[in-house]
Amino acid sequence: MHQSHQQDCLELLVEKARRGQIDRRSFLKAAGMLAALPLAARSGIGWAQDRPIVIVNWGGDAIDAYRRAWTEQFSRETGIAVQIDGSGPTEGAIRAQIASGRPSWDVVDAEPFTSLTLGREGMMRPLDYSLIERAKVNEEFATDYGVASYLYSYVIAWDKERFEETPRTWADFWDVERFPGKRTMYKWMNGVLEAALLADGVAVADLYPLDIARAMDKLDELRPHILAYWGSGAESQQLFLDGEVSMGQIWNTRAIVLDRDTEGRVGWHYDNACVTPSSWAVLNDNPAGADSTMRFIDHALEPEGQVELLKLLGNGPSNPAAAAMIPEELVELNCGSEENLAKQFKLDIEWYADHYGSVLDDFLTRTGA
Amino acid sequence: MTRMSERWQHRLLLWPLPAVLLLCYVLPFAGIAVWSVTLPEPGMANYARLATDGAIHAVLWRTLYLCATVGVLALLLAFLMAYCWLYSSPGWQRWVELCVFLPFWISVLVRTFGWLIALRSNGLVNGWLEALGVIDSPLALTRNSLGVVIAMVHFMVPFAFFPLVSSMRQIDDRVLLAARGLGASRLRVFVSIFLPQTLPGLLGAFIMVFVFCLGFFVIPAILGGGQTVMAAEYVFLQMFQTYNWGIGAAICMLMLVLVSGLVWILLRFSRVERLVG
Amino acid sequence: MNIYRAGWLAKLLALVTMGFLMLPLIAVIPVSFTGKRYLSMPEGDWSLRHYATLLSSPEWLGSLLHSSVVAVCAALLATLLATAFVIAIWYRSSAWTRWLIGLCMLPLIVPPVVSAMVLYFMTTRISRIAPGLGYDSLPGVILAHTLLIVPFGVINMLVAISRIDRRIELASRNLGASMWQTTWMVILPNLRLAMVTTFLLCFVLSWEEIAVTLFITSWEVVTLPRQIWGGLRDNVDPVVAAISTLLIGIVLLLLLTRMAVNSWRDARRPG
Repeated sequence: MHQSHQQDCLELLVEKARRGQIDRRSFLKAAGMLAALPLAARSGIGWAQDRPIVIVNWGGDAIDAYRRAWTEQFSRETGIAVQIDGSGPTEGAIRAQIASGRPSWDVVDAEPFTSLTLGREGMMRPLDYSLIERAKVNEEFATDYGVASYLYSYVIAWDKERFEETPRTWADFWDVERFPGKRTMYKWMNGVLEAALLADGVAVADLYPLDIARAMDKLDELRPHILAYWGSGAESQQLFLDGEVSMGQIWNTRAIVLDRDTEGRVGWHYDNACVTPSSWAVLNDNPAGADSTMRFIDHALEPEGQVELLKLLGNGPSNPAAAAMIPEELVELNCGSEENLAKQFKLDIEWYADHYGSVLDDFLTRTGA
Repeated sequence: MTRMSERWQHRLLLWPLPAVLLLCYVLPFAGIAVWSVTLPEPGMANYARLATDGAIHAVLWRTLYLCATVGVLALLLAFLMAYCWLYSSPGWQRWVELCVFLPFWISVLVRTFGWLIALRSNGLVNGWLEALGVIDSPLALTRNSLGVVIAMVHFMVPFAFFPLVSSMRQIDDRVLLAARGLGASRLRVFVSIFLPQTLPGLLGAFIMVFVFCLGFFVIPAILGGGQTVMAAEYVFLQMFQTYNWGIGAAICMLMLVLVSGLVWILLRFSRVERLVG
Repeated sequence: MNIYRAGWLAKLLALVTMGFLMLPLIAVIPVSFTGKRYLSMPEGDWSLRHYATLLSSPEWLGSLLHSSVVAVCAALLATLLATAFVIAIWYRSSAWTRWLIGLCMLPLIVPPVVSAMVLYFMTTRISRIAPGLGYDSLPGVILAHTLLIVPFGVINMLVAISRIDRRIELASRNLGASMWQTTWMVILPNLRLAMVTTFLLCFVLSWEEIAVTLFITSWEVVTLPRQIWGGLRDNVDPVVAAISTLLIGIVLLLLLTRMAVNSWRDARRPG
């Protein structure tokens, strides 16, 4: 490695460590790779005593956004390093973590029904509301095992170069005559069955309990036109960036980023979107323990960080106090605003808590077959 | 030194590897077998579902069908390469070797990634085809079974190449020359003399490729777009997404039975030592 | 050397196949130089930013370190185990020998996904007793890789040892050397080169292993393939193109060097 470049890398590393972006172990690993441990030893960085917290989110742009909105400041204030794993805390993935006998995850940014289901089965820590200020979110959002981290939404996004008209409804999504091109939908099923039923003419009020057979049949209809089911946010972004699909059911957060990255080529709106909170939850027997993780969750419920995340990625704040702090130009991006909530329908968390595991199995087998 | 200690010396050399394998591989194997009849509850429910669930059948049939397709195609290409390697000048041989060895030593992830880039709608292949005027709009080459087959064939060609070369090497090329000298056309020599002699090698290479393909899940997972799920990826999903370890374990047991059968055929009908030699 | 020559049709088809084999490797290279933050062909905006990310990111550098440690340890273990085993069956074969060789071939024959599940079971069981040695730990991954690559080591060593003249053992024993002395002073020196090639083969196999690693690691141990997998699945990241290009470059360089050495040797050989 070239000497000056090595120096650059080291400075970057030291800078990252000072800002608490990486923990001691990764730092030493990387510094060791650069064969410059002596310099690392002289750099005078104070390492925190606590074990670093591993936060698991959905990857891609969310990793950097979480750092800037939440974890950097938290590390600065508490000295606790935070690492972000973007591999996606699906229900099955968390179960496999617990079953491994050696979970390496601490805090997960999971679906509320996942926290609920797994909490009931004793896999999640009960949240400690003496450390987390319960009043920071609406009452319905603070439950035993999960507290709402932000709101997000499964929206219709489309490529404006492929057709003139604006698709508004899920029936439009299914209409490949008027809106030609390939589609993409969420691999782990949330909002997909609802979309199918709405396209088939079911009224929003009659959605739940979901008519699974009817939804699957409607999905089969669209099957030849579905290019891929995306499993991670970044994958959905790439599909639009490459022009592989003309329309997709994707997260509002990624739609906002896409709109920016493509300079307006990708359009989206909140009409008929499926809105739901995400939740913070902590794994049982997690390596970092209860104390620091609860403190982190409390920190992440502060309105400032939530507004910052709205700016960066478009996640709607779960703390009502944030509403007053949202800059005017961002109000229309917030999926949790009064006006936008009226355009969307809510995902039924209870239904998912009761049915997700078994229906997902059928869904994956059916879509993969 | 006494006889006894000689025997112990021998045991000390012989047993470490089998012992480690028995303890850390065969024993856990029994654990998987137990999972398949105890998760989520004791009984044969997983095998019953394996026997009746149409959707699982679809996954399994697709796996067999794709593996067979990949086997045939990879064999064709490897045969061609082996033939041209064996019967050409050293200069040619070097190029053939480079084109076989380079992909062989490169990680499957890198190759899969390469195909992802090459086969995208606005990727290299579609770009070339459009530039040549062959197509007007991009073909769907990836995120479907076509992409999976292309990448798997690419992965398997070197694996089929080596056993084919070693079986072709045993053919006496003076016979081929003699046939040509007696007036047989190249095609005739190839079909009547060359091909029959390579059949055992072909069978062996086919089974090898087929068995390798069965357990593959990196390529389908990345290039399949979630709609070309093969058995191995299905097991992965059952383990880490839907948490049906029982059914995953049952599919593993089924795969094992199938592979054992194929390996038995391999040992029975083609001389395996010629393949590895 | 054969005198019979392939016809023009076969050669033409072989050329097309060679193009097919090289295509995905060539496709990766330009993408690694894109100036955009997402995966795309550079359109005049060539940049080295993704290489800079690669060399300054603790995640990527850490994964290189993990992969190196795992591959060196696993290859070393596999080579030693395979060598001892092969020498033992070379000295004395019995009715057991065939079965033992079959046992050693198991991880090669069993489909990778089945191996992955088996080794997941194994490492998680170890974790219950000793958390630092099983699932998602360096020793656990090293052990799993060793089991996976050892069949290749056994095959390689078997081929090598079958070329040793049996009479040297007899001579050594007749001169009064014990089995231990014979092994150290006579057999092992003859196997030195084979052990080196076995080590290299095992190193590469462990370095590239992904299927099993995905099952038995989560966050603590991230090998290079696992890091690439993350970059591919969760985030189609141009850094993956950069590391791919580097890996292709290294392999190409090694192969070309070997080819050059071979042709130089051929040229020197008389006749």
